[in-house]
Amino acid sequence: MTISNGDGDSAAKDGRRERKRKRRAEPSLVKWKTEGEQKTYSSKLIEALRRVRRSSATGAASAATDHSRSRAVREAADRALAAAARGRTRWSRAILCGRTLKRRVLPRAGRPKPVGPARAAERSKPPALKTKARVLGRLVPGCRKLPLPSLLEEVSDYIAALEMQIRAMSVIAEALSAVGGAPSPAQTEGPM
Amino acid sequence: MSSRRARSRQSTSSSRITDEQINDLVSKLQAVLPEARIRGAERVSAARVLQETCNYIRSLHREVDDLSERLSELLATTEASSAQAAIIRSLLK
Repeated sequence: MTISNGDGDSAAKDGRRERKRKRRAEPSLVKWKTEGEQKTYSSKLIEALRRVRRSSATGAASAATDHSRSRAVREAADRALAAAARGRTRWSRAILCGRTLKRRVLPRAGRPKPVGPARAAERSKPPALKTKARVLGRLVPGCRKLPLPSLLEEVSDYIAALEMQIRAMSVIAEALSAVGGAPSPAQTEGPM
Repeated sequence: MSSRRARSRQSTSSSRITDEQINDLVSKLQAVLPEARIRGAERVSAARVLQETCNYIRSLHREVDDLSERLSELLATTEASSAQAAIIRSLLK
């Protein structure tokens, strides 16, 4: 299977960091809405789910608690989603690099930032926006210290990706639960 | 994490970004939110948009968690062969 990945491309982009390249760096949101992208993601996800199922079956059935299994499913789904982004966004790269940032999200809401009088002239955004932007940065993996414009771009891509993830997972869950429900006569392998 | 120092360094670089740019990005973000499809192109404050975005992302996370739980239960209880058949059917749809 030949996989053409644009890793070298993104590395070059990071190295340059010029303003002229900014338009190209903007990820297109439309791709998350296409059926093709969702189908690709669904097959990747199903492969990952098979692995989760196999690993939880070979271990002691009692040891694999429901919670650890659902967490494994969630992580597999997120990693597959990040892979679908093809390394063009910060949040996807952060997920693929191990998600340490997301784990450390502690409920530290409401930490007021002391704004000194000397900094008032340089402040271009009111502090209310800054706190909200910081909370937002903590919700998206890998975007904590991002300036507001890049953060907003990452956020819109992240939201579109999450919506696709939810659509794909719902379809798979529906398909699986339809099996467990009434086995249709067309199914020759119905164990029930 | 001494984020205070990083923050002050950030404010000097971000002051070059115009308010207009920020408002433009915020309005683009507002278009993505589900409430925008109900309310239309009503001008909301940037702080409100950010707040709605945080709430929306949290609800999306919760939905993904619920779906993960549901999927893990289904994975545990469904037979492998019938699961495969169902999955192939859903992909071909």
